Amino acid sequence: MEDGRLRSWAILPVGARTEDSAYSVMRQALKEAGLTMEGLASVCATGYGRKNIPFAQFNVSEISCHGMGAHWCDPSIRAVIDVGGQDCKAICLDSQGRAVDFVMNDKCAAGTGRSLEILARAINLGLEDLGPVSLKSRHPVRITNRCSIFMELEVLQHYYGGRKIRDIALGINHAVAKRVAFLAQGLDMTPGFALTGGVSKNAGVAKSLEKALGVRFRPLKVDPQLMGALGAAVHAGVKAGVKDS
Amino acid sequence: MDIFEEIRSLGRKTQNPYLKEARASGQKIMGYLCSYVPEEILHAAGFIPYRLRTVESLGTEKGDLYYSALNCSFVRHCFDKAVRGDFDFLDGVIFFNGCDHSRRMYDNWRDLYAERKAGPGFLHMLIAPHKISQTALNRYTDELAKLVRALEESFGLKITDQKLHNSICLYNEKRSLLAQILAMRKGDQVPLTGAESIRLVLALNAVPVEKAVSLLEKMIEACQDRNVAKPGDLRLFMAGGCMEEADHMQLIEDQGGIVVADNLCLGARSVHTPIEEDLPPIPAIARRYLTHLSCPRMVNDFYSRSQYFEETIRDFSVDAVITDKLMFCDLWGGEAFLLKSEAKRLGIPILTLEREMHGGAAGQVQTRVQAFFEKIANLTQDDA
Repeated sequence: MEDGRLRSWAILPVGARTEDSAYSVMRQALKEAGLTMEGLASVCATGYGRKNIPFAQFNVSEISCHGMGAHWCDPSIRAVIDVGGQDCKAICLDSQGRAVDFVMNDKCAAGTGRSLEILARAINLGLEDLGPVSLKSRHPVRITNRCSIFMELEVLQHYYGGRKIRDIALGINHAVAKRVAFLAQGLDMTPGFALTGGVSKNAGVAKSLEKALGVRFRPLKVDPQLMGALGAAVHAGVKAGVKDS
Repeated sequence: MDIFEEIRSLGRKTQNPYLKEARASGQKIMGYLCSYVPEEILHAAGFIPYRLRTVESLGTEKGDLYYSALNCSFVRHCFDKAVRGDFDFLDGVIFFNGCDHSRRMYDNWRDLYAERKAGPGFLHMLIAPHKISQTALNRYTDELAKLVRALEESFGLKITDQKLHNSICLYNEKRSLLAQILAMRKGDQVPLTGAESIRLVLALNAVPVEKAVSLLEKMIEACQDRNVAKPGDLRLFMAGGCMEEADHMQLIEDQGGIVVADNLCLGARSVHTPIEEDLPPIPAIARRYLTHLSCPRMVNDFYSRSQYFEETIRDFSVDAVITDKLMFCDLWGGEAFLLKSEAKRLGIPILTLEREMHGGAAGQVQTRVQAFFEKIANLTQDDA
């Protein structure tokens, strides 16, 4: 980030070694911006490997970062639902984008991107197709199991039973959305909702979640999958004393 | 060896040189399972009381043959060690109906012994009521008398009132020294971390009481002028069951906190309430063990725990509370829910963690705890 605007960004799949992944993604973002590491005033790390990033001066949890990123995009946002690959969270924000309450899944992965991936694969759909295909459905199947593995068996049963792919796809989105909504309902959230994380790119889940929670998600001006990194950049800017971070 | 290193080394092993030495000199060792089992009776019978533990566990595969995956991971790890023969150095085990999971270990261990014909042969089930009342106290006193008789008959010994009195005095001293150390955490200078206090209690419950007293005396000396609290650390109250993994506690503290008070099996629960030395020994022991700082197994004692919670938060200047429960622990599940509303009433932030014992998931715990501390910092900034 520079002068309160997003100068460049990069997203890469995480590899086996956190440090290597962090260096790779940083190199790509720097190349895009025409900068070098030495040109950075401050670096903040976030995410699961945040403690192991050698070039970061400090780290902030992804819960705070997702909140801050969403706030940077739209200061009226007061509640963030983050559905990532491995976990999902609901976060309440104050007027400055600071996390003041949160909940996070701890029982299982049924409300996460990983579970969507498994279920999409079971019906031979790419993860990116799950959303668009599901939007054509008017008769979603019901998936009642709470465990991802049993959900997969249920999905296969519908698949072999000849149900339409689009109906199964919407059923999957509904099921994952229900898990996330159940978690989020544990918080006292006020309007001004945003959906972040990789799963937010699945329009089907987003729509199902809006229905389950009875809310409308505000569109974000930056790729919602970037929200954690964006929040970390805002924190780095504050640390470096940059105005309008 | 520095006392902290000694504690670390004693706390992370199933056996230790003091036990081996005692065994070599012919002394017997009696395992037990819960902080409701009176060590005084075992000591008066000539045993070294040894609290069963899951440290050095290799997994739960063997324990799972007897238990179900819906049982708590403490009993599965602990029993796994029993199946592997890790507790074969014991002469007996006293089981306890702390909860249904741990109570079931008695049945499983009897089956195991019938199969293996190895390991501790004396297996005794001690029952304590789940309520505090005069009737419950009478019942528990009878149960303790039954334990005395079982030990006497099985090992051909006599547990006299004098022996019990001596043991009570020794264990009161041990409790009082440990209480002194834990109370040192009241001030701004905190002499030991929560992780160190877990290691300390694990060590104390695995050595002869005379050695425990000497370790505690050394520890008190080492704690003078020691401060492990870092500037800005949040002062934490930890509540939970048998948290044995010092590394897990360390992980929590590494996010920016220091444990200054607790209601843990391996913590304050070990030191609370001395035994009255001028009463007949068995009723006095029964009174102490039934009415000391309770765990949620005591269903009609939440008021006392809540009072302790409130007073401790005030006296130890606690900033935040973390409850830590094992999956499938119904007792701590209910307690965590009740403590949440107590914390709300007292206006103190609370976080509930749930985990599998030795189960990893460090990333999730780290994120949750760090975000909790960040949340508190955000709320405190607003108040300032």
